[in-house]
Order: sequence, then C-alpha cells, then structure tokens
Amino acid sequence: MKLRYHTIFALAGITTVLVSCQKQYEPVPVEQTTLAYTFNTKDSAGVLALEYLSTCYLETFTNGHNRVGNDYLDAASDDAMSASLTLSDVQEIATGAYSAATPNADDDWTHMYAAIRDNTIFINEIYRVPLNELLPNGQPALPSYRSEARFLRALAYLQLVKRYGGVPLLGDTVFTITSNAQVPRNSFSDCINYIVSECTDIQDSLRTVAMITGATYGRITQGAALALKTEALMLAASPLYNGGNIAPSNPLTGYTSYDVTRWQLAAQAAQAVISSGIYSLMPNFKDVFITQAQPVGANTESIYWMQNGAGTSVETFNSPIGYSSEGALGYTSPTQNLVDAFPTDSGYAITATNSGYDATNPYNNRDPRLLSTIFCNGVSLWLNRYVQTYDGGLDKPGGTVVQTKTGYYMRKFMGPFETVAGSPQFGSTIHDWIFCRYAGIMLDYAEATNEFSGPSSAVYNALFQLRQRAGIFAGPNGYFGLPMNMDQATMRAAIQNERRCEMAFEEQRYFDIRRWQIAAAAYNTAPLVGMDIQSQPNQPLTYNRVPVLTTSFKAPSMYLYPIPYSEVVKNPQMQQNPGW
Amino acid sequence: MIYSIFFYMLQQSSYLAVLIALLLLSVQPGRAQSPSDPAGPAHTSNSSTHYVGGIVTDEYGKPLSGVRVQTRGENNIVFTNTEGNFHIESSFGKMLIFSHPQFDVMEYLPRADTMLPIRMTTRFLHTPVANAPASFEQKDTIFIPAPDNEPIDVLYERTDRESFLGSISTVDRKALEATPATNYLFALQGRLTGLNIAQTSGYEAMGLDSLFTAQLLGNVPNNTTGAGPTDNSQFNIQLRGHAASSGQNPIAIVDGVQRELYSIDPRTIQSVSILKDPLSNLLLGQNSSRGAIIVTTNEPRLGPTRLNVTAETGTQTALGLPAPLPAYQYAYLLNEALQNNGKPPAYSQADFDAYRYHTDPIGHPDVNWYHTILRSAPTLSRLNLNASGGTALARYVIDLSYMNDQGMFVTTDANQYNTNVGLQRYLLNTKVDVNVNKYFTIRLQVMGRVQDGNQPGLTYNALLSNLLSTPNNAYPVLNPNGTYGGNANYTQNLLAQVESSGYNLDHLKDVLSNVELKYSLDKVTKGLWVKGSGNVSVQSETTMNRSLQTPVTELVVQSAGDTNYNNYGESLAQNNHYQTSSWARYRFVQLTAGYDRRFGDHSVSAELLFDQKRSLLNYDLPEDLTNFGGKAAYSYKDRYFIQGAADYSGYNRYEPGHQYGLFYAGGVGWDISREAFFRNILPVIDHLKLRATYGLTGNANVDYYGYYIWNTYFSGGPPTYPMGSTYNGDQSTLAEGGAPGSQYLANTNATWERADKFDGGLDMSLLHDRVVLTADYYHERYFDVMQDRGDNVALVGINYPAENIGVELYQGLELELTYQDRVGRVNYFVSGNAAAQQSKIIYMDEQYEQNPWNVHTGRPVNQLFGYVAQGLFQTAADAAASPSLPGYTQQAGDIKYKDLNGDGSIDQFDLAPIAKPRPLVIYGLSAGINYLGFELSALLQGDANRVSYVNRPYYNFGFLSQNNSYSQAYTPSLGRWIPENGTSATAPRLTAGGNTNNGEGYPYNTVMSSYWVHNGDFFRVKNVSLAYNLPYRWLRRAKVGDVKIFVNAQNLWTWAAFRGIDPEVSMPNYPLQRVLNAGINVKL
Repeated sequence: MKLRYHTIFALAGITTVLVSCQKQYEPVPVEQTTLAYTFNTKDSAGVLALEYLSTCYLETFTNGHNRVGNDYLDAASDDAMSASLTLSDVQEIATGAYSAATPNADDDWTHMYAAIRDNTIFINEIYRVPLNELLPNGQPALPSYRSEARFLRALAYLQLVKRYGGVPLLGDTVFTITSNAQVPRNSFSDCINYIVSECTDIQDSLRTVAMITGATYGRITQGAALALKTEALMLAASPLYNGGNIAPSNPLTGYTSYDVTRWQLAAQAAQAVISSGIYSLMPNFKDVFITQAQPVGANTESIYWMQNGAGTSVETFNSPIGYSSEGALGYTSPTQNLVDAFPTDSGYAITATNSGYDATNPYNNRDPRLLSTIFCNGVSLWLNRYVQTYDGGLDKPGGTVVQTKTGYYMRKFMGPFETVAGSPQFGSTIHDWIFCRYAGIMLDYAEATNEFSGPSSAVYNALFQLRQRAGIFAGPNGYFGLPMNMDQATMRAAIQNERRCEMAFEEQRYFDIRRWQIAAAAYNTAPLVGMDIQSQPNQPLTYNRVPVLTTSFKAPSMYLYPIPYSEVVKNPQMQQNPGW
Repeated sequence: MIYSIFFYMLQQSSYLAVLIALLLLSVQPGRAQSPSDPAGPAHTSNSSTHYVGGIVTDEYGKPLSGVRVQTRGENNIVFTNTEGNFHIESSFGKMLIFSHPQFDVMEYLPRADTMLPIRMTTRFLHTPVANAPASFEQKDTIFIPAPDNEPIDVLYERTDRESFLGSISTVDRKALEATPATNYLFALQGRLTGLNIAQTSGYEAMGLDSLFTAQLLGNVPNNTTGAGPTDNSQFNIQLRGHAASSGQNPIAIVDGVQRELYSIDPRTIQSVSILKDPLSNLLLGQNSSRGAIIVTTNEPRLGPTRLNVTAETGTQTALGLPAPLPAYQYAYLLNEALQNNGKPPAYSQADFDAYRYHTDPIGHPDVNWYHTILRSAPTLSRLNLNASGGTALARYVIDLSYMNDQGMFVTTDANQYNTNVGLQRYLLNTKVDVNVNKYFTIRLQVMGRVQDGNQPGLTYNALLSNLLSTPNNAYPVLNPNGTYGGNANYTQNLLAQVESSGYNLDHLKDVLSNVELKYSLDKVTKGLWVKGSGNVSVQSETTMNRSLQTPVTELVVQSAGDTNYNNYGESLAQNNHYQTSSWARYRFVQLTAGYDRRFGDHSVSAELLFDQKRSLLNYDLPEDLTNFGGKAAYSYKDRYFIQGAADYSGYNRYEPGHQYGLFYAGGVGWDISREAFFRNILPVIDHLKLRATYGLTGNANVDYYGYYIWNTYFSGGPPTYPMGSTYNGDQSTLAEGGAPGSQYLANTNATWERADKFDGGLDMSLLHDRVVLTADYYHERYFDVMQDRGDNVALVGINYPAENIGVELYQGLELELTYQDRVGRVNYFVSGNAAAQQSKIIYMDEQYEQNPWNVHTGRPVNQLFGYVAQGLFQTAADAAASPSLPGYTQQAGDIKYKDLNGDGSIDQFDLAPIAKPRPLVIYGLSAGINYLGFELSALLQGDANRVSYVNRPYYNFGFLSQNNSYSQAYTPSLGRWIPENGTSATAPRLTAGGNTNNGEGYPYNTVMSSYWVHNGDFFRVKNVSLAYNLPYRWLRRAKVGDVKIFVNAQNLWTWAAFRGIDPEVSMPNYPLQRVLNAGINVKL
C-alpha cells in the first residue's frame, strides 16, 4: 500500500516535469520577426528586406503638404500665414515663440535620427540577403537598394544640417542599449563633406531614370544623388555658413572663413545635373505638381519626391472656404508680400515704370505663375465660379469661421478644377511631394554661378528658360523683362525673387531667407501685409494693403534652431547653438 | 454530470429555488439531543446546590463541544462534551456563563434542573474554525478566552499564529457577510491594515471587444495585474503604497491557487487575509515583492450537515452625481462665455424667459437628463446557500450563490429585452476532504462561475459620457408626435440611447478544479509528509452585440406658423454579432515535501516546494512562473523563533538564460511573554511577541513595460509606403521594435524589480485578551525599478525602453488595535486600524536640473508637479504685465501662474511640486454590539493626507466644444470669475468652446497646476449592519438553528474635505452606489 502511493507520487511528479519540458511553444513570438529573418540569408527575393526599405522611405520622407500643424512650412516665412483661429504652429515659428525647451513644430531632430538609424540598419544588413534581382542593365540590384538607403540617410543629415548646423555624424553605428550614445557634434564642414561623399559614392550604383519601371517608380535614381549633392553644396556655399557664420570661429555653425570656391563646387554640381540631360522643364508650370515623373509619366522635372499618390486632400485643406460643399478648409493665407513679388507678364517688377501693373486691377497682366500659385479675388476661377475674397464675399464672409486673413488662398499643387463638368467637385489628383525639381537646380546653378563668376550669360539663360516656361513675354530684347547687364548684386536679387516666385510653398523660401541671411530683414522690417478688398454696389473694387501679422526674428540665434534642450542636458558632449 | 445539470438549472433562476428547497428537505434534522434527554442526570444534593445539565449548540442548532460553562461567582467550571452536553453543580439563582473562543459570551439563568438548549452566537472578530480546541486555558474572568494557536491562512497553507513571524491582517466571515456587494473587495475597504482599496467605478467594466490577433502585440493581458483578464475593474488595490500603475499590486490567491478572482460573493468566503512582509510571501518568488491577498472560501466542517441559506435584497442610490445647470442659467452663462471670447451672444432675453418659465418645452427645452434617464433604487439581490458536514472520513462543503445587480438606467416595457445595465452571477463552489486512511488525505475542489452582464447597446460608458456633456436645452426628450427629440447637432437622443439602442450581453464562464493530495510519511520518519496539488481552470468571455440606433426628429416652426418635422441621424438595424472577448486557461502544479517535528523544547520544520503556473491568455504565448523554493523554521520552547526561506524562481518572459533569480528571506521572533521574568513584571500583558523579517524579493512586471522587451525584433503592418506607379503600397512596412513612430530599443538587460524589505512588529494582548494590538513598521527599498533612463538621447534613433534603474524607498507604520469586552449580556467590540505610508525616490537617473524645485529625486514617488497658481488675475493690467505660457495672452479671470525662475515666461522650469509630500494615512474603525440576539455593527473608513487633483473639464468648466455646439455646464460654473466677485471666485472665467481646454483651444487654465489641487481627505460610514436572531426557543421545535433578520447599508454617509464631487468616483465613471439591504438568514 505504502509503495503504491509512493509510486503514484513519483509518477505524477515525473509526468509533470515531462509535460512542462515539452517544447510546445516558440520562445519568442513568431510575429516578432528577427533581424536574421528580416535580412534572410536564404531569401533570394529579399521580400522582408525590401519591406524594411519601404519603411526607410516612410521614415525619412515627410509629406510637405500641410505638414506643420496643417499648414505649409512656408506659412512660417514671409510668404504666407496660417488662417487658423487659434495660435498655429507656423505662427509660433514666425513670431519667434520657441525655445530650446519648447522647440518649434518643425523640430526634426528625433524624427531624422530615427530615420538615420533605420537606414543604417538596412545599409549594414542588406549584404546578408542573396538578392538575385537584376537591374535592367544586368547588374545586381542589391547595391542599388543599398544606395537608396544611403541616399535617404544623407538626406536626413541634410535636413538636420540646414536646421541645426553641424550635427553628430553616426556613420554606420547602430546604437544598442549598452552603447554610449553621448557623442559630440561634428563640424558643419564634416557634415557637408559626409553628405557629398555619400552622394558621390552611391551615384553610379543607383538606377538611372531610364531603368525605372512601374514597379520601381518612386525609387531614388542617379539623378537624385546628383541633385542632393547640389543641395548640400548650395547650403554650404550660402552666406549663413560661408562668410556669414553667426559665430565666426565656431565650426559647428558654419565655415570659419569665406571661400568663393564653395560656390564653384555648387555650380559644378548643379551643372552636372543639367548636363546629364535627364531632366528638362515641363511646358506648363501647373502640371509639374500633379504629373507623375518620367519615364512613367510626363513630368521631366521631378528629381526626387515622396510618393503620396492621388487624392483630394490638398484641394480640401487649402481651397477657399466658400467651397464648403467640397469640404474646403482654407488653411493657407498667402501674403501680399508674396503677391507683390510676382512680376507682370512682361517680366517687370510691379514697381517698375511701364511694368503694366494696374493698382486698381492688381491681378491683371501678371506673371501667369501668380494665378497658378495663389487664388486672387475675382480673377481666379475655381469650380466654375470666381473666387470672392473681398470683405463679405463667399470666401471671406467675416464672422468667426476660419477664412483667409490676407485676402488670398493658395492655389499651387491643386488639380485643374477651374471649370468642372457636372457637379462641381474635386477629382482625385496626384499629390506627390516634390523635394527637388529641375527648376530648382537651374536656380541653384544660376545663383552659384553668379556668386562665383558673376552674372554671365549662362546665369541669364537659366532665368530666361524659367520665365519662358512661366509664360512671361520674351520682350523685344528677349530678356523676359530682366534688366540687361546687371551687376552681381542686382542679379542676386533677381535670382532670389525668381526663386521666391517659382518655388513658393515648396519649403524653399523658409530656408532660403535663412541661408541668405535675410530672415531678420524679412521678419522684422514690417508686419506682413494682406489685401483688404472692399466691394460696393456699382463701384469698382477698392484695394488696401493692411498689416496682418507682426513677425519676429531674433538674429542671429534664430538662423539656426536650438538643439532640443533635453538633448543638451542629457548629453554633456552636446554643444548648444549660440544664443540659445 | 451533476454540475452540468446544475448549470442547466441555473439558466432558469426559478429552478434555483426548487433546488434549494430540495436541499433543505434532504437535510437531516439536527442531531442535538432533545433537552429532555440530557447526558447526565440532574442531581439534587441540598436545598441550595444541585446539578444543572443541558446542551449547548452553535447557530445551526448543532452540538458544540468545548464550551466553557461556569457559574457566576463560583469556581465551578465544566466543558461541554462532543455531544454538546454538560452538567454542572450550581446553586439556584446563579447565572451560568457560557464561553468559547469563537462565540460571544452567553449568560443564562437556569430555572430548573434541565434547561433549554443554549445557542451561541459567533463572535464578530473571529473566524469560525472547524475543530476548536477541546479546552483552553482557564481565565479568572470570562471575556475573550482567545486561544493562542488558532490557525491562520497564509500562503499555500495554514499555520499557527504563534509561530508566524510575518505581517498579516484578516477579515473574516461576519464582516464579509455584512457587506451587501457584488464582490468581496467591497468588504475589505477599511478592514485590512495597510491595504488601500480605492474604488474607481461603481460598476464593473464589461468585455465588448472581439479577440483578434492584431491585439496581440503590446496589448495582451499582462502580469501587471497578476496575470490574466482581471475581473476587478472597479478598484485600485494598493498595498503599502505600491501602485498598480507600476505593476506592484498584490497577487490574489484563492484557495491556494494564484487566480485573479474577485467577483465572488462575499458570503461564499470564509476569510480574506493580506500578507505584507517579505518572509511570508517569499514562495511567490518572482512576485514576492507584491504581497498576497489570501482568499479562503468556505471550508468543509466536521459534523452533521449544516445548512445556511440567505436571501437578501437591497436598493441602490447613486452618489456624487453632479448637479447640472437649468437651461436658463446655462443660456445666460453661455452668453457670458461667448462674450469672454469676443463672440456674439447665443441667446436673447426671450430665450431666457422661455427657458426659465418653461413656456416652450419643445423649442426651449429644459430637460434634467439625470432625472430623465436614471431611475431610482435599482436592486441588488443575492441568494446564498451553504451546506457542509461530514465525518472524520470525509467532509464536504457546497456553496451556491446567485446575484443579480441592476443598473440605474430607465427601461421601457416596450422592449422585449432588458436594456438596463445588469449583472447576474451564478457561483458554485464545492470542496470535499477525504481521509483515505490515517496517512493520506485528498481534497477536491470544483468552482464554477457563470456571469452574465447586460448593458444598453450604446454601452453604459458612452451613455454616461453623453449624459455628462448634454445640456439641458439640447433638445426635448420627445416631440409632440412621440418621436425622439434631436436636431442637426444632436443626432442621437439620450433617452433613445438608453431604451432604444438595443443591448449588449457579455457572458463570462469560469471553471476551476483543484486537487490536493497529502500523504504523511510518519512511517518513514515521524513528521515527514509530501503534498501535491494541481489546478486546472478555464475562463472565457463572449459578448453579444444586439445594438441598434434610432433616428431623431426636430420640430421646426415655419415662417407661416406651420410646423414641419426634420429627421436627423441614422436608423441602424439591430446588430447580431457574437464574439469572444477573452479566453484564458491556467494550469498550476505544486509539489511540496515537509517535515514538522518536535523534540522536547525544540521544534523544527522544513519544506521543499516546486510549483509552476502556466497562463495561456487569448492568442498569446504562455506565461510560466516557476518556483523551486524551500523554507525552514526552528523554535525553542515556543519562545525563540528563527525562520528562513529561499526561492529560485523563474519567469519565462525574460530572455532565456536570464529567467531565474534567487530570492530569500529570514525572520526572528521572541515571545517575550513566555519568559518568567516578564510574567512577573507585567502580568497585565497576556501575550507579547516581537518579530522581524527581512527579505530580498522580486517583482516580475516586465510585461507592463513592453512585450518581450529584451528581444530585438522587427514588426510589420501599416502604414505602408506607396512605392510604384500605381501607389498600391503593396509592400507592407517592417520596422525595428514596433510600428513606425513608436519603436523601442531592445532591453537586453531586462530583469525583475527587486526589493530589500524589512518588516518589524509586535503582537500584544492584555487585560485578559480584551485588548489586542498589532503594530508594524516596514522599510522597503525597491531597486532595479523599471523606468526610463535619464540620458535617453534621441540620437539613438529609437525610443529607449524601460530599464531596471530606479531606487525607491517605501516606509510606513501600521497599527491595529481592538478592544472587546462584555457587560452582562452585552458583548461589544471596537477595532481600529490605521496605516501611514510614504515613499521617496532615492535614485531615478535624473538629469541635471538647474532649479531645485524641478528636481524629482528625494521626493515622493508619485509627487504631482505643476505650475504654482496664485489665484486668478483680478485685473487686465495684472494679466498683461504677468509672465505667460508661450503664445497665450491671458486675461483677467485666468489663473495666475508663478514664474518661479523669473525668466518672464511660464514653462517647464516653473514646474514645481504642487502637493505637500505628506504620508498618506488610511484608516478604518469598526465597532459592534451583541445583545440578546441583536447584533449591530458599523464600519467607518477614510483617508487622511490625501491629495485630490480635480481637473475635469466637463464638470469644472462646461461649455466645451461639442457637435458644433457647447457642452453642459454644472454648478462649479456658477462660481466663475467675473469682475464683480473678484477674489471670491471659485473658478476661472468662463470660455466657450474650449475643446477640452479653457480658452480658444489653448490649454491655459487646464494645465496641471496647484489651482486644482484640493484636500482629498474623506471618510465614509462604509457599512452599518443590524441583525436580529430569533430566539432559539421559538425555533428549536422546527429543528431550525437560527433565523436571522437583518438590514445593512453600504456607503451610508460620506464626509469629504472637498465637496461637490465624490472623493473616489466621479462621472463619467459609473457612480458609487449607496446600498440599503435587507434579508433573512436561516441556519439549520
């Protein structure tokens, strides 16, 4: 009897132990894919690795449309303002309401270092995958994918550098929990050199535009690498860093001395894009933003962009609020300052005599890009009716609803819905966010060449092409309204104005006024101006320029963003930017 | 088979009554011998002295052995025998006094040789024990002859109180019985020293979501609450100040098995204890830091069948409902709020008048929605049956319980179904103990629970939110044509949401079965035994969604005076979805071998233990907690005690190879009252034991901070990058450490939190056990506490995970003091407990702070930080001249924040502690009295030094943006700042459309600040109970032991330092209920 119970206990115990030792479950959840599985040494198709790369794109690119608190970043420049009733993120930036402790809404530090980490993992690990995909030219595709990640990483660094100056360069390091991540900043010069050398390294291994197919559409190409190099060199050559360093002896905030050859390098890089012959201006300015790029689409101008696909969000967010049946929200209010920057259709500034500008019909006879960029009262046709931004008009009714604060709405990036058959509604339109396009490279080229060697005919020629495409009359002398024989400074002003008009709302102006070191003037000289339009029965409209927003810019510290306070306080090696 | 039949019968609750009736019939009449047949003959020796004989019974009318019988004023003492009989030499006219440790003292004046049976009444503060000691120490007076070695329930076993060195606090049956509530946690508030059970909702949450695999990542039920879908959603349980929010709440152990079972009827429970010290919890291994709530359900009792039936029903009243403003006040104040925002007014004088005089109930409604959709006095009914009995060979207990708790919403007879909130529960618990032979005992337990929840189709949470936010003038309840009122802004009608939104059902099913085998190996060597126990349990919750939606109609008066009805909202057909919301399976195995032996003055015991608990929850991988532990104890002359325990414990959610840790504890005790010198010096002290324990304990709460956080992983899923010319995004994303944007670095060093715990205390009784005192001091240094590192720079490109960094100190004092006595036939007690708890951050890897007020280290763990409010701006000039939050222009009537660092702006450097760091004191005070069958008891429960942060925008501000309109406002709005009331204002100026923030979408007045910090002290008359036991002489002929008629009340009255809102539960949480309960209890 006694033995039996012992036996029962022993058996029960052994059974329990056996059962608990059975391998029934995996030690970690299968849905948690490991690094080894993501970059699988047996997966010749690289399925997961390429999914991972797609995340790298997602993490690195930011869609500029209504990006900053539902506004365009350029609404924080002198080109526009937010229509929001409450304190908007862009207004906080434009009025200087940010600090290291409460960074502005464009603070990209965390986001960009996250992107850098993602890309670096791909760069380090992709070699494990025996990818047997070939490019159309018969070369293995793997180096091309890897170079895409290197491009994205370089782009992330450029996004950081143009906000903060020199930042820590992490190379191929991927931090783990035990790493010491308290690394110092690299100099501005190091950062530029790194971005440029990365671009140089990868440009040959990337796909050419011609190799792009429907399936690979949206991937980074060789031309993109050339363009990114140009962007980096243009930044480096710009006055803020090259000669105008806000802390002249601080290598973190720029070069410690001026060197004109930096403009030469920028010009050469831009020239390389131009002479590659891949890109050209599209015939119609409006189509640039709503057309897919070559070779899939007709857009010969896009160089690299974020894939957003088609939709109506840009139209609904930014159309004048009178189109409320289409959900129009009217977020963006371009300023009179921007409107005045557009020349007349003969290419003259509106202040020039004989320019053809008529202050009582201010939108007539203007550079056609004006109406492609901005909805103006009475002349912009939209969904079969003319926009009404006079006081009390459908698009500026008064009261407490969100509406334009300047008398203008943004038109750029939208589909061709001036007249619509059937019920007036927006159709789905391609809204890819173009980071870099050929027109910008031409402006880069013009600017760099003018700075390095003066206003040569090549400089003129670049502007002629842009103005011609814009629809400005060539004029009897073929100068498209540009003065002949400009000196370097005059040409600089002309290029800057041309850039403002051509590239409005493309996140250029906001950074341009900084790198040109004219932000203090742009923000602090006078309040931003809007147009107050009064309509009386049987009377012509009256136009009055009215101040709409007093902006503020603390020079020189605001030329660079503060490093986020938490980063500085948590990392003794992290040196704050001057003035913060 | 029997159980399945039982459950089937339970489906029809009417069968329950039949079942109970059958059981009643089956019960044998008590074996108490009739009084005419006393055990001993009555002698008559002389005129003044003779023998009196009789029988003493317990409340069931069953003979009670070991009752001490004494004649008053004489030293005749006898004890009842196993048949309950006694006979004693006594003088005529002398009072007989009957006493027993578990029962109140009885006095009886015999008038003849033979007397009526004496029925004893269970003492309030003691646990009835199956086998009371046959005799006990003689005392010179007869009050509370408490035996020292009454067994107590501790972790996985029962032990004698004398050798127990830990800290324990117990609630037993009488207190549990007096609590009219759905689960036993209600009965613990204020009764267990050091345990803070804060109620957060008046009703349990009901499962609604379906179970789907995407829930898995980071969304699984985790070890935070002990493992498993918890059925406690009404309470925050904090032991010694450790917050559930950091995964440090105690582990519930029900009948020896770790189970998150709270929704059990208090009447089916014999006792609930809380174990607080390191030594007595050590065999929890990885969770030994957390303490344990030990729940013992009713136990089998030796003897004839005892049957205990209780039927009771109560009515409930919601407490702390906010007072909405009537429509005219609302309209007036909304105009003021709009004006403050520079907006045109919304209402005219004619509107005010129409609202005020109710001249236009359709166009200008003034509906008190609280009166419209809430009904008075919903019921809580319970029916309990307990049967137990058995022989030395086998004993059993059966508990059946039925509970029906109705919610507070109105219903309509038009529905064929119930739309009210409701909970019905059927519980069956059986235990059978079998002594197979002298050496071998088997215990079997089966518990089954079926719980059906019901609620309106919209869900009661959504309904209460809508109730909180809908103004009185939003729309009329019904239109003249009988349709539900509404308009373009309110496309759903509150009444329709209550009574015409269909219903949701959730069904919870539980089955647990335990088996425990214990075999004594006395034959091998005396005192050696082995024990094995196993538990298998399953739980599943399914829900049925039968919701629908009813449109609303607005009556519009046309210009010509014609009326027209506009329809809004959608009519949605009734859903018919059935889904599983949670599913769990548990397996628990425990093997123990022990040795207990006494050698003269030396007493030794040792135990080795292995156990493993596996939980399978929903779709998740199993959680395994494994312990290899042991403990040993030695005592000399029952006077000096030394004990130790060690546990090598593992949790499989840590990295393989890093799953096991060693935890250990030790304790010493000295029963100083057994020392001869002490007895001589302080004879007034009956008993005094000093004790201390120390341990290194653990808390495996890693799940709370992430899912397999040590594992470097990549996970897929949307959003996708739309690569390709068609933007199909056919490639899903795959990101390191989680979905893009919320990724975490792998914490390859993750381990359990640990604690160095010390607990020192004393147990003392004096004045012949009239006074019992227990005091404890604890010092718990938690280290390796999971938290974010201070230098978590963003350069790393990914979020840092929680790491084992923090060091926190918890200290406190606990005191339990009881006084019991009797005066004649009046037995009474007063018992109080209080605990003071405080914590301190020793280390938290805090980065350099330039201002001392920003520093967290050295302050309490949950210190509130915020801006320091200096009242309200009284003048526009002051507002304009004062520092502001960046981007905000403050006005008169806004809160004035202090610019602590004087930099001209209110920012993070001005955040300072906004509540005084004082130790929280939680206390309870209970008292009771028993006289001639009347029993009265009361419990007072409260908190002192409590901080209440009251910032509830809907309630405090009102007029929030809602549906193109403005939300309801409540009485606090009446105290708003206006220039006329200046400094006497109790709220900032009104603004409209704050969208959860006061003032044009800017969170100015609602940011965390000392303005909203209030004194949170409160106390409640938590429970009052009055019962009357019918005299036994009426009942005994019917073979009934006891009929008790009782009334009791829960949450009878509350005092709170900060008025206007219940200190614990506030809308939109389901409000706390006051329960007034009455019932009858029959024992036979």
